[in-house]
Amino acid sequence: MKKLILTFALSFLWISLSMASDPAFEKAMKKQIIAMDQIANAEQSKEVANGFLRIAEAKSEEWLPLYYAGLIHIEAAFRFEVNKDQYLDQALEYIDKAEKLAPANSEVTALKGYAIMGKISLDPASRGQNLSPQAMQLFGKAINLDRENPRALYLMAQMEYGMAQFFGSGTDKACGMVRLSLEQFEKEESIITEDYILPKWGKRSAQQMMNNCN
Amino acid sequence: MRTLSIFIFLFLSLSTISFSQTKISGKVLDEKKKGLPGVNVLIKGSYDGSTSKDDGSFEFETDEEGPQVLVFQLMGFKSIEIAIHCEGNAIQIPDQILVEAITEMNAVTISAGAMEASDEKKSVILRPLDIVTTPSAMGDIVGAFQTLPGTSTVGNDGRLFVRGGDASEVGIYIDGMRVGNAYGSTAGNVPTRTRFNPNLFKGTFFSTGGYSAEYGQALSSALALNTKDLSIRSQGDLSIMSVGGGYAHTLSSEKQSLTFSANYFDLKPYQSLVKQNFDWERAPNGWDIELSAQKKLAKGGLWKILARTESGGMEIWQPEPGQEGRGQLIRLRNKYSFAQSNWKNAFENGWTLFAGAALSSNFDDIRIDSIRLERKNQLAHGKFTATKDFSDRLSMNTGIEYFNHQFDESLVDLNFSRDYVDHQFYFFTEWDYYLNKNLVFRAGLRAGQSSLNKEQWLDPRASLAYKISESSQVSFAAGSFSQMPVENLRVLNQTLKNTESNHLILNYLLQKEGITFRAEGFYKGYENLVVFEGYPQSPQNPTNLGKGYAQGVDIFFRDRKSIKNTDYWITYSFVDSKRQFDQFQSEVQPSFAPKHNFSVVAKHFILDLKSQLGISFSMNDGYPYHNPNDGEEMSSKTESFQSLSFSWSYLPRPNLIIHFGVNNVLGRENVFGYRFAQQANSQGVFESIPSGQVAPRFLFLGIFLTLSKDKNANQLNNL
Repeated sequence: MKKLILTFALSFLWISLSMASDPAFEKAMKKQIIAMDQIANAEQSKEVANGFLRIAEAKSEEWLPLYYAGLIHIEAAFRFEVNKDQYLDQALEYIDKAEKLAPANSEVTALKGYAIMGKISLDPASRGQNLSPQAMQLFGKAINLDRENPRALYLMAQMEYGMAQFFGSGTDKACGMVRLSLEQFEKEESIITEDYILPKWGKRSAQQMMNNCN
Repeated sequence: MRTLSIFIFLFLSLSTISFSQTKISGKVLDEKKKGLPGVNVLIKGSYDGSTSKDDGSFEFETDEEGPQVLVFQLMGFKSIEIAIHCEGNAIQIPDQILVEAITEMNAVTISAGAMEASDEKKSVILRPLDIVTTPSAMGDIVGAFQTLPGTSTVGNDGRLFVRGGDASEVGIYIDGMRVGNAYGSTAGNVPTRTRFNPNLFKGTFFSTGGYSAEYGQALSSALALNTKDLSIRSQGDLSIMSVGGGYAHTLSSEKQSLTFSANYFDLKPYQSLVKQNFDWERAPNGWDIELSAQKKLAKGGLWKILARTESGGMEIWQPEPGQEGRGQLIRLRNKYSFAQSNWKNAFENGWTLFAGAALSSNFDDIRIDSIRLERKNQLAHGKFTATKDFSDRLSMNTGIEYFNHQFDESLVDLNFSRDYVDHQFYFFTEWDYYLNKNLVFRAGLRAGQSSLNKEQWLDPRASLAYKISESSQVSFAAGSFSQMPVENLRVLNQTLKNTESNHLILNYLLQKEGITFRAEGFYKGYENLVVFEGYPQSPQNPTNLGKGYAQGVDIFFRDRKSIKNTDYWITYSFVDSKRQFDQFQSEVQPSFAPKHNFSVVAKHFILDLKSQLGISFSMNDGYPYHNPNDGEEMSSKTESFQSLSFSWSYLPRPNLIIHFGVNNVLGRENVFGYRFAQQANSQGVFESIPSGQVAPRFLFLGIFLTLSKDKNANQLNNL
């Protein structure tokens, strides 16, 4: 009996170690992710980004907190009255750091493309020529790294859509792509649990875009 | 069973053991003692921390115990760390002051004399795309700069003339390496163009004076062109133009890229359709091939290669004043090659190293009637620089350079030739010191030595910039500049010394979202200019006895926001210049320095037509010229120069651009000067012929198609 209990306890310990190597990290991440979904102004955005940066500081081998700090800065540039260029540059700085920790990561690559898309949107006439191919290339690379990454598909669709509109050409390709991304978002949702801390944003925006397609 | 309960107890207690919590509070201030919001306050190595509020105050609790490090971080500020001791009691941290870091984003930059075209940096005057889309430029880099302050348009020359200076006073660099014979060879008042395609470059830096000690052998201006980094996509680019065509192919991978291009042009079909003022025997024609490659190296370095070779020519009849008939037949063949390679690496420890080598080689075969002249000009340049940021306040740029300059000209049939070889060594060092983010000083020194005339010289330079407000700044620059005389004079007298100029520049720059206003006043003194006897075509006994000055003001205004989808800029430059040079006996206003220069460029994007329309207008008050029938030197002046240009770029598909442009739409008969007979006729009058335009108008039509196998082929391509 003793042995059985010991084995059970040990194996339980082993499982919990392998599942969540660092519960404190996950707990801190979850707290910030919940806070992230409730950001309503620039100050809150700063607070939550700072939260992620504290985690990044303490766990210098993790790419995820830097990823989220980057994401928050990009979203803030789109949503709030801030120095948009400065926020996007800052986002790119965090993303570059994340890239060093997790090279060839589909999510990080797609996020970098998202930041560059933000840079383009601030001055399309003069930046479009130079940066559009860069953003497209990053989205393409992100898709190649993980064909099931819904965010890479959605962002690529977004870019295609904008360009199709500009040139008055058909949006079929863009719409096909956003449909693919929605399929992947559905698939992703089925594996999302309460403990899921990997990127899962973007479904709502993809659905909005899909509405324009129909 | 007891064991199990012990386990359960242990597990439970583990998760419920509560350490004593320490409450930490305090306030963060900026340098002006005002509360600083948004500061990330954290305990190093833990997840505990908080963000400072609007008044700079912060407060949080931590489970950490014992000695800890409290960190304060905010983007754009220098982080600080302080030691604390957590033992359960509340800690009140004394007020902390964060000092703003001096970064490229917030610090003042020296803008005296400088005009930058870049997508990356601030305080830019133009974007790289603007160079391609300026109507009057017709895709020529220098053509676009001729709409900027401090320059004057000399329509029968085509080169860049800056602030009363001759075209040879502009030094042209690619990736910091000097380019010899950067303009196409030309003859008989046919304007020339830059040899290099604007699409090669990601950014340009154009200075009309007071520039860095890194640049020398240029009395008036430095034009630095920076080539693109890695191409990100494999593609083919096809161009079909009214004057020729070409194809470029790019192969690209993650670590390297390579572009090969070949072009051919011939104006003959065009000239048979459109009436010409000039009497062509053979229209200008030529071909070029070019290779550029970029490679990312293992330790973060970037290695670039650019190589180009081209050949071209023209034959033209030039009427002689006072004579009947077609005049002289001038035949020109030119061969040109340029190759350069450079390596640059920014190391983690703050050092950036650069090494480059370049070779320009030009060969002209000129026949004037039966006289045959051959000219060879070769310039080799080696350069090594080291830059270092010692702190966010102090940085240094130091380098050494070597030039080998060979010139050779011969009258082939007479078996007569003359030549020279010059070895030049340079050392330069330049230091930037930021007193704070609003005030920067720069001091530089350039030392040179020439083997040919045994001269050694020192050119000190200094500048400073002060930021008055978030959007405006003033800069001041002063310095001395040296340049060897042009080759055809130097070969006559190999002891000729450097010509010299001294610059004083005061600049005001205002940049608000979409608006740029720039005003600059300058004084430039010239010493040791070369004067000679005889005519410019056959100079004799050149000496360094000339001198002169140029002074003036220029104003630039650009607005990209007031009118929707419209971008326009207005430039006015006033130059008062007199100099004794060339064959002139006294100080005169040079023909290339009109007093009042004005230009407007406007571009409007029409979304529905997927088109950009461009219009540009340039004018000046006329070019001075010397009329031998009038006693005084250079006392006559041509009519005002005026030219209106128009362009239309149409993007029907992302990978297709159709561009149409017309220069001098109104067909105004501009005259740039007069050529006089060397002898008076029987009535005692020197007869003359006006130097005018090649044709009343120039029309251009081009179709640019990009082909890409990339599955994301429908994307915006590089123009």
